[in-house]
Amino acid sequence: MKGTYIGEFQELVMLAVGVLYDDAYGVAIQEEIKKQTGRKVTLSTVHAALNRLEDKGFLTSRLGGATEERGGRPKRLFRITAYGRQTLEKSRSMRNRLWQLIPKVAWDQM
Amino acid sequence: MPTPPRRAQQFLRWFCKPELLPEIEGDLQELFHQWVQAHGIRKARWLYVLNVITFLKPYFFKRQNIQYTSLNSQAMVSNYVKVSYRNLFRHKVFSFINVVGLSIGLACCMLIVLYTKDEVSFDRFHEKKEQIFRVTATMSSENGTNRIGSTNVVVGPSFAEEIPEVATYVRMETTPYILRHGTDTFNEDVLSVDHDFFSVFSFPLIAGDPTQVLSNLNDMVLTEESAEKYFGTTDVVGKTLELQFNDQFETFVITGVAKNPPQNSSIQFKIIIPFLFARQQYLDTSWIGFYVHTYVMLHPDADYKAVEPKLDQVFLSKAEEELKSMKEKFDFKEKVHFGLQPFQQIHLDTEFGDFRNGLTYGSNPIYSYILSGIALFILVIACINFINLTIAHSLRRGKEIGIRKVIGGQRKQLIAQFLGESMVLSFLAFVAAILIVQLVLPYFNELANKRLSFSYLLDAKLMAGYLALFLITGFTAGFYPALVLSGFDPVRTLYNRHQMAGKNYLAKGLVVFQFALATFLIIGTVGIYAQFTLLTQADLGYSDENLAVVHLGRGRHDTEIEALKNELANKPSIEMAATKDFGQNYTIAKVNNKEKELGFAISWIDENFLPALQIPIVQGRNFSQDFPSDATQSVIINETFAREAGWGPSSGKEAVGQVIDFFDQQLTVVGVVKDYHFTSLKEKIGPLLFKKGTGDLWVKIKPDQLPQAMAAIQKAYEQVIPFRPFAYDFMDTINERNYEAEAKWKQMITIGAILSVFISCMGLFGLAMLSIQRRTKEIGIRKVLGAAVSDIVFLLSNDFLKLVALSLLVAIPLGYFAINRWLENFAYRIELAWWIFTLAGTIAVLMAFITVSFQSVKAAVANPVDSLRNE
Repeated sequence: MKGTYIGEFQELVMLAVGVLYDDAYGVAIQEEIKKQTGRKVTLSTVHAALNRLEDKGFLTSRLGGATEERGGRPKRLFRITAYGRQTLEKSRSMRNRLWQLIPKVAWDQM
Repeated sequence: MPTPPRRAQQFLRWFCKPELLPEIEGDLQELFHQWVQAHGIRKARWLYVLNVITFLKPYFFKRQNIQYTSLNSQAMVSNYVKVSYRNLFRHKVFSFINVVGLSIGLACCMLIVLYTKDEVSFDRFHEKKEQIFRVTATMSSENGTNRIGSTNVVVGPSFAEEIPEVATYVRMETTPYILRHGTDTFNEDVLSVDHDFFSVFSFPLIAGDPTQVLSNLNDMVLTEESAEKYFGTTDVVGKTLELQFNDQFETFVITGVAKNPPQNSSIQFKIIIPFLFARQQYLDTSWIGFYVHTYVMLHPDADYKAVEPKLDQVFLSKAEEELKSMKEKFDFKEKVHFGLQPFQQIHLDTEFGDFRNGLTYGSNPIYSYILSGIALFILVIACINFINLTIAHSLRRGKEIGIRKVIGGQRKQLIAQFLGESMVLSFLAFVAAILIVQLVLPYFNELANKRLSFSYLLDAKLMAGYLALFLITGFTAGFYPALVLSGFDPVRTLYNRHQMAGKNYLAKGLVVFQFALATFLIIGTVGIYAQFTLLTQADLGYSDENLAVVHLGRGRHDTEIEALKNELANKPSIEMAATKDFGQNYTIAKVNNKEKELGFAISWIDENFLPALQIPIVQGRNFSQDFPSDATQSVIINETFAREAGWGPSSGKEAVGQVIDFFDQQLTVVGVVKDYHFTSLKEKIGPLLFKKGTGDLWVKIKPDQLPQAMAAIQKAYEQVIPFRPFAYDFMDTINERNYEAEAKWKQMITIGAILSVFISCMGLFGLAMLSIQRRTKEIGIRKVLGAAVSDIVFLLSNDFLKLVALSLLVAIPLGYFAINRWLENFAYRIELAWWIFTLAGTIAVLMAFITVSFQSVKAAVANPVDSLRNE
């Protein structure tokens, strides 16, 4: 099923949403990603990802406070849904499993 | 505070899904502020633009079928439709008044558009219309200027020969002929034209070659209609018809068949023969003569303004001799000037008149203006109804408007809603109007003397015109109410019972305006009726009853008249047979030893004429068989002649016995008749002179013996003149025909007045109904407190009657002015008495009162319990 798959960037965005917890909106997520990974992403990429993730049901959103510096427009604040969390965990456990399956000798050869 | 670039913002809004827009814009704005602080405005703006561009991804684009936006506006629009539909049907009376009023107004305007379109389309179908001109003549002397649309035989050929710009010429003359087909004879007006006729004018031939059909003197061209009439087929080339010419029948060979001339053609014909046929025998070389029409066709690049002066040059050089001898012989002093009138202008420019020789009557554009004016009046009145009723009615919709505003309806949307509603109403009216037009077109045609129909006038321009009419009407009627209604304060409409603000001067003003227009038309109607009655029922000074005029054609018919009079002498149904020449002729003579020149009307009659018409002789005697000299030397004059010659009762001179120098004859006055109206009452009675002679047969018939008399006359006629078709008229119908134009005016104004009063009253009815509904409680309380029905009726009608009375103040001076101007056309006219205005005013007030009474009486007699019981 297409819905269960998330790409690397999308996972990153979701994690950032988690990190920011109650203040996860476009600009904040963009900054968080930059801060944590050093990757410069454009706002549109972040928005596209957020919206796709919401469409898939991994994220949920509500409209938050409008401030003057935003020209009176509300923030859309995202949170991870239970399903999203499950998917993230699945992804992490899969990774962990794969990590563990790498034989030690593979590292030693480096 | 710095702002992001507007263009970029607009661009974003344009392409981005609306539901994502707020967060994106918010985020961008937040970033923008950071950028401003970090990099300065210029860079920040630049970054903003770049970032907007990065949003150009399919994911963010608007989708056409996305439902969020359209669902809402669809619901809104369908709500508009539903509400207006409900409104229309819940208040049937108002919808009815509005639709009926508007449809009548629109129908009137549509008819006028048709009429005007027909008028301006006249003669536009000729391919060379720009090159064709009519030669006109202007004669001026100290007595005034005389403009003539006809010329003579020499003008055309001379101009074509001498002036290089003139390509060719066509002369036209209509002559009444007796036509013989087999043994049957018919009276026909035949148009004689020069051979270039069909090459200059675009009258297509269905048979025959346009350049050849008139090349021989005995060629003839028929129209499809006349070919059908005489042969029952249009395949008639080579067949023959005969025309009576100089007392014998000449055979003509049909060489061509033309399509019937279109109805919007000034030139109309049925039968065409070559111009030279009748003119070959006596070629009139005189330049001073005005009886045929001459058209010239210029070369395509010629400027007619430059050609015009050359006409006079040619005339002065060629007619020098003639002018000199005219001056010597007849003391001819007038200056003659020839000019060119563009062919397309003939129909609407009646300055040169002369509608004969194939030229149908032009239209005085004044009729177009009057008709348009009346139609516009009616439409304006209907629009006023719409405006007044919608605004008065809007109280009921105050709540709707309030709610719409509270839940976020913008003024623009409300205006659109109400304008939309008025458009729907005027569309209904528009459809009804088209049906009305179809229905009344035959009557309108009769009234306007036209043969209009949608079929030949329908084209893109007309459709566009009608569409424009519809849009303008809808907009005019709906715009002001939309503006007022959408301006309601929602708080006031929702909190308390909304009252119409102020005294509503506009509605009152509009009612006054409406009734002023209606009353103006009523005054016109009453005035025209009064004048018309005067014209048709005035004492003419003679009796036109039971008087038949049998036509024998122009000129003298001594032997025929003698024989007819003998035949009819002993018939019991006939009182008397007399004769008078055809039509009315005018001439000049000198009186008082050639001291004074006098212009007068001249008629040739016999001794029976004056008794037959019961014209009293005040001095001297009638013509008589006992005086053989009467035939050549005696004349009878009327009182005006005597007065103008200086032989009136006050002069002390005896008119009888005076000598008149008539060219080379010396005529003696033997009698004076009492003045009578020998022309229409539009003109003053002028001087009139009778000589002995013959012409048409005039028969005074005994009362109630008409059928026997006509049978006897026809029998005698067929014995005496077997080859000539029997044609007659009655004098009273001839007299009535003088006032055809007035009869048209009467009809037009009457219909206009009736319609405008009707629509105004419908509007008043609606207004009264609303205002009384609003006051039912008040009426109830008044009745409970003891008011009489009459008091309440007065109270309720008063408001409206005041407005109508005010409108009289506006209408009466205007009406006075207009009627006065119209009456100036008549020598004998009614006094503009106060009763005309009183009558018109009374009609207006009475109509208004009756209209309002329907409502006010109903309200006044209603049981107060009903109005007070339920809240």
